[in-house]
Amino acid sequence: MKHDCDDAIGQLYQYLDAEVDEPTAARVKHHLDDCSGCFDSFDFERRLKLVIKDCLTEDMPEELEQKVIALIREESR
Amino acid sequence: MADKANFERDALQYSRQLYSAALRMARNPADAEDLVQETFLKAYRAYDTFEEGTNLKAWLYRILTNTYINKYRKDSRRPNEVDLGDVEDLYLYRRIGSEDTAEASRTTEDRVLDNLVESDIKTAVEELPENFRLPVILADLEGFSYKEIAEILDIPIGTVMSRLHRGRKAMQKRLWEFASQRGLLPENAKRP
Repeated sequence: MKHDCDDAIGQLYQYLDAEVDEPTAARVKHHLDDCSGCFDSFDFERRLKLVIKDCLTEDMPEELEQKVIALIREESR
Repeated sequence: MADKANFERDALQYSRQLYSAALRMARNPADAEDLVQETFLKAYRAYDTFEEGTNLKAWLYRILTNTYINKYRKDSRRPNEVDLGDVEDLYLYRRIGSEDTAEASRTTEDRVLDNLVESDIKTAVEELPENFRLPVILADLEGFSYKEIAEILDIPIGTVMSRLHRGRKAMQKRLWEFASQRGLLPENAKRP
């Protein structure tokens, strides 16, 4: 079991980033179905990733979009 | 080859996303605005070299990244190759998920995820050395694949993976410190 846990944790980021091939994804998923400890840790990392994405996203100032458009139009003359 | 007449229609839709990434790179709004404007101007000028049908978003981010590096990296050619100490896997989870019962652990996890302040997360990213920060921004903010990040940053895919994973772990260590300072952790989770 320990070996399977190490294997799964070793794939954690690639798995959450959807960067593993299908057999590996199936193997990790199978382990997560069986092992609540690993399931919890993967779930925590998945949620953390969402929180991080959310916190890093910013609203662009309205004027900036206008400035960019003006810049391009000026350049295209 | 792409037609410059379509630039506004095709490229400007990415400006909002680009601004978020620029802000995390430049770390202040004034420089981020400059960076976005410069990126679009360069992209417009080079648009006839863009091969239509290929990845426009990645192409724009490559220009953004190069513009950032050239503008803000003092020693312009050598990347800022700072190393991070080795941080163990699941750094944050293992420190907050170590309570006696699964329910207690879950409560702490929820408390940390719900109460980590936006500014803490921004700080944790912005404090990363540049060679780790850029892959983290491209993956975690923008959702680029490892292969796309390798192309944008012009580094091997293995380097992308190791920097991304180590950058994330270093961020977790910092987030654990913030969580601790904010009193989100139980007593036994406060030791390093």
